[in-house]
Amino acid sequence: MNEEKIKNLLIISTACFMVLFSLLPFAYMVLTSINAAPDFLAKGWNLTFENYKNVLGVESLHFLDYLKNSIIISFISSVATVFVASLAAYAITRLEMKGKIFILLFVLGISMFPQVSMIGYLFKIMVYFGFINAYPALIFPYIAWILPLSLWILVSYFSQIPRDLDKAAMVDGCSKFQILFKVLFPVALPGIFSTALLSFIFAFNEFIFALILTTDYHSRTIPVGIALFEGLHGQVPWGQIMAASTITMLPILALTLIFQKHIIGGLTKGAVKG
Amino acid sequence: MKIEIKNIQKEFKTIGRRSVNVLRDINLEMKDGEFFVLLGPSGCGKSTLLNIIAGLENPTGGKLVFDNKVVASGNKNECISPKERNVAMVFQTYALYPHLSVYENIAFPLRIAKMDKAEIDKQVRKSAEILHITNHIDSKPSELSGGERQRVAIARAIVRKPRALLFDEPLSNLDAQLRTATRIELKKLQRELGITTVYVTHDQVEAMTLGDRVAVLKDGFVQQVDSAINLYEKPANKFVAGFIGFPNMNLFDVEVLREQEKLYIQFEKDRFYFDNSSVKAGVKYCMGIRPADIEVASDNENILKGKIDTMELLGKEVLLYVSSNNMEFSIFTHKKGFKENQEISFRFDQSKIHFFEK
Ligand SMILES: Nc1ncnc2c1ncn2[C@@H]1O[C@H](COP(=O)(O)OP(=O)(O)OP(=O)(O)O)[C@@H](O)[C@H]1O
Ligand SMILES: [Mg+2]
Repeated sequence: MNEEKIKNLLIISTACFMVLFSLLPFAYMVLTSINAAPDFLAKGWNLTFENYKNVLGVESLHFLDYLKNSIIISFISSVATVFVASLAAYAITRLEMKGKIFILLFVLGISMFPQVSMIGYLFKIMVYFGFINAYPALIFPYIAWILPLSLWILVSYFSQIPRDLDKAAMVDGCSKFQILFKVLFPVALPGIFSTALLSFIFAFNEFIFALILTTDYHSRTIPVGIALFEGLHGQVPWGQIMAASTITMLPILALTLIFQKHIIGGLTKGAVKG
Repeated sequence: MKIEIKNIQKEFKTIGRRSVNVLRDINLEMKDGEFFVLLGPSGCGKSTLLNIIAGLENPTGGKLVFDNKVVASGNKNECISPKERNVAMVFQTYALYPHLSVYENIAFPLRIAKMDKAEIDKQVRKSAEILHITNHIDSKPSELSGGERQRVAIARAIVRKPRALLFDEPLSNLDAQLRTATRIELKKLQRELGITTVYVTHDQVEAMTLGDRVAVLKDGFVQQVDSAINLYEKPANKFVAGFIGFPNMNLFDVEVLREQEKLYIQFEKDRFYFDNSSVKAGVKYCMGIRPADIEVASDNENILKGKIDTMELLGKEVLLYVSSNNMEFSIFTHKKGFKENQEISFRFDQSKIHFFEK
């Protein structure tokens, strides 16, 4: 075997392993969700959609409320985060100011506080503002929590856009804001998209803040909702939990598929060639 | 438009607080409709000067005047924005907007200027036609070749009829053949448009073929401003002499001496007698002689003796590297039949020797 073949073999086997490794739990999840008994490996196959029917149909489980809360909260958080992060990234990469690197490091440092260490004070603040069990209780912390990551991604993205583009736009008569909105944002769109999607996923999956700062289905999000699922009959309702998880996966899957082109472009084609 | 550059200075403050004086005292005047070239080695501040003209940077001293109106000076309040200057610029990297089609790229400055739609369409198509890119008008820049991209960039520059066109090494990313072809077209285009053009390059061939006048920049000063032929024939100093012309000029430090009425240069062994009224005896000069102005001699009168180290065949002519009197001479000749290590004698064309004060 020549080197090329070995290389291909290695790449393919690694890829297969990684795909299997990460997809197996999902497969198990989907299979459990469509079986009458969760221990279907022992008790045998018994196909049913009862779990889905319960999760979607039974009002008192509030599953659809959780889903709606999650989508609204994550959407608002990610849009706001990316908007602020884009402006900040523009300022950091393009404007003259001292100590840029310290700002970036400071922001990074803040993002390293463990969530648990903040949650107590956060709870007090939210009580003070009367936000507990309302959307703002999660939206504001999420924005603050995701911002550092978005900022870092966008800074690296913006700094790859050639400076000559700004200069060309300026000579063509653009003001600073026109440079931003007519040139840099459109050029960075794939990066902004993938950052927004990443922020969305982060907010969508967040658990601790959501657990502490919400109390019931009016604002509780999916991860907490599923974790606290009680089921209709008392015991841990694995089938329903898995059905709920499967449905929860769908919005993210849909988003990823729709924006696939942009995301891959965003991750690999950072260097924008004039 | 006439551009006057008066005592322009530019100092960059770098992060380590060490300041760099890139432009020390630049004085130039570009006449209306002139094709003016800024030539100089890498890092001498050509792009900086161009950016100052465009309004992308502000000078730290001096004045920039467009048609008797000050547009930039050491005083920030007098600097007007690029938009108000109405100059266009073409970059080495083309700097096309990657998210816009060729059509929209060319239309961009007009859209920013809020021109009426029908008029934009007319102007864009006209510029595209002039630059022969009508076929590519719906493509994205990434689908074009380097040469085509450069045409789009030029079309975008001329579309709004700027008062001046600025080029920053626009051809240096093209291959040699395309560069020559584009150079010729660029010159023609500029003649037709009659727009004052400032063109930055470090390539002397480009400078010599394009420029009505060429300014040679180095160390933050203008070394010489003149037509191409004068730069070649009458270089003002040693730097210009060595920088312009291929093969490079031979430059040596020599002392001129006098024997009775005749001036001569004393080399290590040989003496070369010459006649030149502007040179004084007993003074040290830097002497320059172009390789083509050295003649391989067949007689014995007033010659230097040397030995051929190596040679390069350049088409019909040959370039000899000769060591003589403990120095290296290059000699450009169309005589034939030389061999390495061959002993030869040669003499300078007296009228072509340049003497630069030290
Ligand atoms: N923003 C800046 N801050 C600090 N120094 C700078 C800045 N811009 C340019 N310089 C310095 O100014 C000098 C001239 O730069 P410039 O780009 O004008 O050179 P150039 O003549 O165009 O060279 P080249 O032919 O390589 O393009 C360089 O030494 C560079 O390091
Ligand atoms: Mg340059």
